[in-house]
Amino acid sequence: MIDFKNASVTYPGGVHALRDLTLQIPDGEMVVIVGLSGAGKSTLIRAINGLVPLTGGDVTVDGKSVAKARGGELRRIRSRIGMIFQTFNLVKRTTVLNNVLMGRLHATPTWRSLVGRYRPGDVEIAMRALERVGIVEKAYVRAANLSGGQQQRVGIARALAQEPKIILADEPVASLDPPTSHMVMRDLQRINRELGITTIVNLHFLDLAKVYGDRIIGMRDGQLVYDGSGAQADENVFRDIYGRSLTADDVLEAAATR
Amino acid sequence: MTSASLARPAERPRKPPRSLLGPAGIAAFLLITYWAVSSEFGIGLDLGAIVKDLDRGQVILADVLRPDFGFFERTIPAMLETIQMAIIATAIGCGIALPAAFLASRVTAPNAFVLRVDRGVLNVIRALPDLLYAMIFVAALSIGPLAGIMALILFNLGVIAKLLSETIDGVDTGPIEAARAAGAARVQTIRTAVYPQVLPNYVAFSLYVLELNIRASTVLGLVGAGGIGRLLNLQIGFGNYDNVGFIILELFLLVFAIELLSISLRRRLV
Ligand SMILES: Nc1ncnc2c1ncn2[C@@H]1O[C@H](COP(=O)(O)OP(=O)(O)OP(=O)(O)O)[C@@H](O)[C@H]1O
Ligand SMILES: [Mg+2]
Repeated sequence: MIDFKNASVTYPGGVHALRDLTLQIPDGEMVVIVGLSGAGKSTLIRAINGLVPLTGGDVTVDGKSVAKARGGELRRIRSRIGMIFQTFNLVKRTTVLNNVLMGRLHATPTWRSLVGRYRPGDVEIAMRALERVGIVEKAYVRAANLSGGQQQRVGIARALAQEPKIILADEPVASLDPPTSHMVMRDLQRINRELGITTIVNLHFLDLAKVYGDRIIGMRDGQLVYDGSGAQADENVFRDIYGRSLTADDVLEAAATR
Repeated sequence: MTSASLARPAERPRKPPRSLLGPAGIAAFLLITYWAVSSEFGIGLDLGAIVKDLDRGQVILADVLRPDFGFFERTIPAMLETIQMAIIATAIGCGIALPAAFLASRVTAPNAFVLRVDRGVLNVIRALPDLLYAMIFVAALSIGPLAGIMALILFNLGVIAKLLSETIDGVDTGPIEAARAAGAARVQTIRTAVYPQVLPNYVAFSLYVLELNIRASTVLGLVGAGGIGRLLNLQIGFGNYDNVGFIILELFLLVFAIELLSISLRRRLV
């Protein structure tokens, strides 16, 4: 369970990216966050694993305060939360397997990571994560030699290798073409349903949000302006969230056929 | 959206005024050069002297260009010493430089204090030339290769840590964020997300420094810090310019060999 209690983030420079947000996300949900650029979606996601520190209020994960955690305690909380990025954030120069093994660092002694010798059990976990996203045959290929969609699957495998309770995905398909976007989103949905991992995804495109979000959270100007099921979210709701009428740019299929 | 912008195009920005910094800089540079060269204020560079002294130079040059290959055997011990000094100094210097570079980059330093202290120390180390270090260590340790090695280590540390920390400043920070998000500790993050990105550069810099060390051995010998420089100095003193020519040829081949090694290694690493 993720619990935001009056959480606020004010960046140096004075931008209020989160304003007094109160929100609960129970275990096992598939949540999609939508909102205009600059609404605070990335900030909200990064507050959950403490990559962005709160400037007010609190956020707890399974009862543990992320805002108050430091050092080893913060790392322990983070180890239970996988993260997936728009730009994949892989180490391009090294192998797919080494990238996925980064998800095992939290369970690896420092000396082992320094000499690059992971435990066989951790390698096994990484291999299984690669199998789950269907690219285990690329394990010893350099990450740079993969297509965008394959790289994002490696990103997902890295998150899975943590054996997390929660997965955060910040615009995971924004750099991908429409068919690949659907494949990646289906992977995330499958992971959520089969493994029961709470999954929180920032999405740009409303049609994707509607298809894959069991629950949709709308953000505007750092505040929660919609919280409901994906089925209920019709055009009027999105117009409300965006504060303007919708355009072809807001929909993946339309953007693709232009 | 597009039709709206077509109907009323946004006003074009006015071209910003040209900066005078470029021309002013060139003018300042020319003035300073004149000041340094002129006979009233500076060293009074006399190009005629080069031509006047050319006769003497020609004799030397002719000898140097006819290296005495029979000298080879006598250069072996000194040449080996030079190579060994260069390798030892490169290994130790580059070994220390790796952590020093990570502490000297904004991307990987644990905090601003460590960053500033490490950079300060490295700046001080780099401020002195290798020859001066050699003189200091010869005075402190006695004549011999150890003094030369110590001088080269400091020199290598300064160069590598500087080049490498600047490379680290420019790495892709995405993987760092990913490692942190996965609960990795700082050292693990550096090892898995940063080190692989800068490894080819690190290898290239290290080989470059090895090459510099071989070259430096010619002057280190002058102050008694071991290596081929002592022999070179001796032969210059005796006026045996054919032997000098042979040593220069050897050094050239050695540096060339390192360059070849560097190229092949880099091709395999990139
Ligand atoms: N590191 C930062 N320093 C200062 N301001 C920031 C920083 N990161 C984000 N902001 C500002 O905070 C606000 C919210 O940013 P955030 O990245 O959370 O928005 P977003 O909804 O993810 O937008 P996008 O769809 O463009 O990714 C924006 O106005 C942004 O400019
Ligand atoms: Mg964002």
